[in-house]
Amino acid sequence: MTIEKMGDLTACPHCDTLYRLPALGEGETALCQTCGAKLFINTRNGLHRATAFSLASLGFLIIANSFPFMSITAAGRKNTVSLFDSVVALWNYQDPWLAGAVFAFIIGLPILICVCQLYVLVPLNFGKVLAGARMLCRFSQHSVPWSMVEVFFLGVLVSLLKLVSLAQVGFEVGFWTFAALVFCLTASLVSIDRRELWTLLNPTS
Amino acid sequence: MSGKDKTFHPRSAASAGLVSCHDCARLQPASEHFCHDCGSEMHFRKSASVERTLAFTLASIVLYVPANVLPIMTVSQIGGQEENTIMGGVITFWQMHAYPVAIIIFTASVLIPILKMLAIFALCYAAKRPVKNPKRMTKIYRVTELVGRWSMVDVFVVCILVSLVQMGQVMSIRPGPAALAFGGVVVLTMIGAHCFDPRLIWDKVAEATPANK
Repeated sequence: MTIEKMGDLTACPHCDTLYRLPALGEGETALCQTCGAKLFINTRNGLHRATAFSLASLGFLIIANSFPFMSITAAGRKNTVSLFDSVVALWNYQDPWLAGAVFAFIIGLPILICVCQLYVLVPLNFGKVLAGARMLCRFSQHSVPWSMVEVFFLGVLVSLLKLVSLAQVGFEVGFWTFAALVFCLTASLVSIDRRELWTLLNPTS
Repeated sequence: MSGKDKTFHPRSAASAGLVSCHDCARLQPASEHFCHDCGSEMHFRKSASVERTLAFTLASIVLYVPANVLPIMTVSQIGGQEENTIMGGVITFWQMHAYPVAIIIFTASVLIPILKMLAIFALCYAAKRPVKNPKRMTKIYRVTELVGRWSMVDVFVVCILVSLVQMGQVMSIRPGPAALAFGGVVVLTMIGAHCFDPRLIWDKVAEATPANK
């Protein structure tokens, strides 16, 4: 990706300082001299990496949601739950708002973000922009802070420490694929700078 | 890129009559209403930024009271029922000598929300009155936006424990009303921080500098 295609002028999103973006080598980052914000990161093979990690994330999401997540054994009884069961449990205890929010944070939005990313990124690899790609790209950008798979993962570790003295806890297939999902989803989101993505989406401007 | 350019004289995009898009960072003349590249609506600064930020933060402070007073979950065992609050959980772990867990929960559920609310008030002040150190305030803004979502960890812990610990008579866990209240606190402070526009801090500083008048 060459910088010439980026359009020359830019403003820092945090302090509004005007810049002519310098030519960056691969892997280099342009920082704002006034406030220190990241202006642009020229990632190596950004588009290809973002596509690959999004594809992997979607695969892991499907597996993580189709198989048991964790199991617990106490007093001779074994209880196995899936990711979706944790939402259902909240629903069953008359907490539909919390159930809906948790569903959105750990299942709904991650899936939507992956699908939107793929809809935008895969055609870009062939130099194409599909109808509605710009709208979906904006949607997924706005949804990213609300996809909390990594926070949920920390929650799993904390609850494990809570339970370890009471019962025997086992990790199932869903847990390990969820761990892989946390890595791939994060990687896919940091692989490509939004400026580069938007420049690819608007080749003429 | 490293090292500072000594000849660099910062100038704001606003002073050049340019506005950047929130979504795709494209720079356009201030007269345009929609972004040429991504189609989103253009705003000179985020609209009613300080008012919205304060409104969401005040709402989150109101919800923070039931989130801490009411039980976040109820544990039923053969011996009877026990209601747990957020601080109660931290104290239990501390007494069990599980210090790292106690610190994680305390940081995510108590420290981050309170610090975040204080930080947002400081930012709103900086957006209305010129401050001496706008760079530090901008850094505070970045941290505030970044850490907010990690407070949700306590809600997820409740969610996992409720689904996993269903052993009938032996032991079962029910969610308490504080779980929803605390989730609300996190969501409201996240929206509040998102509504804030850090460029307002720099606008105030520029206004107060005689050279720019």
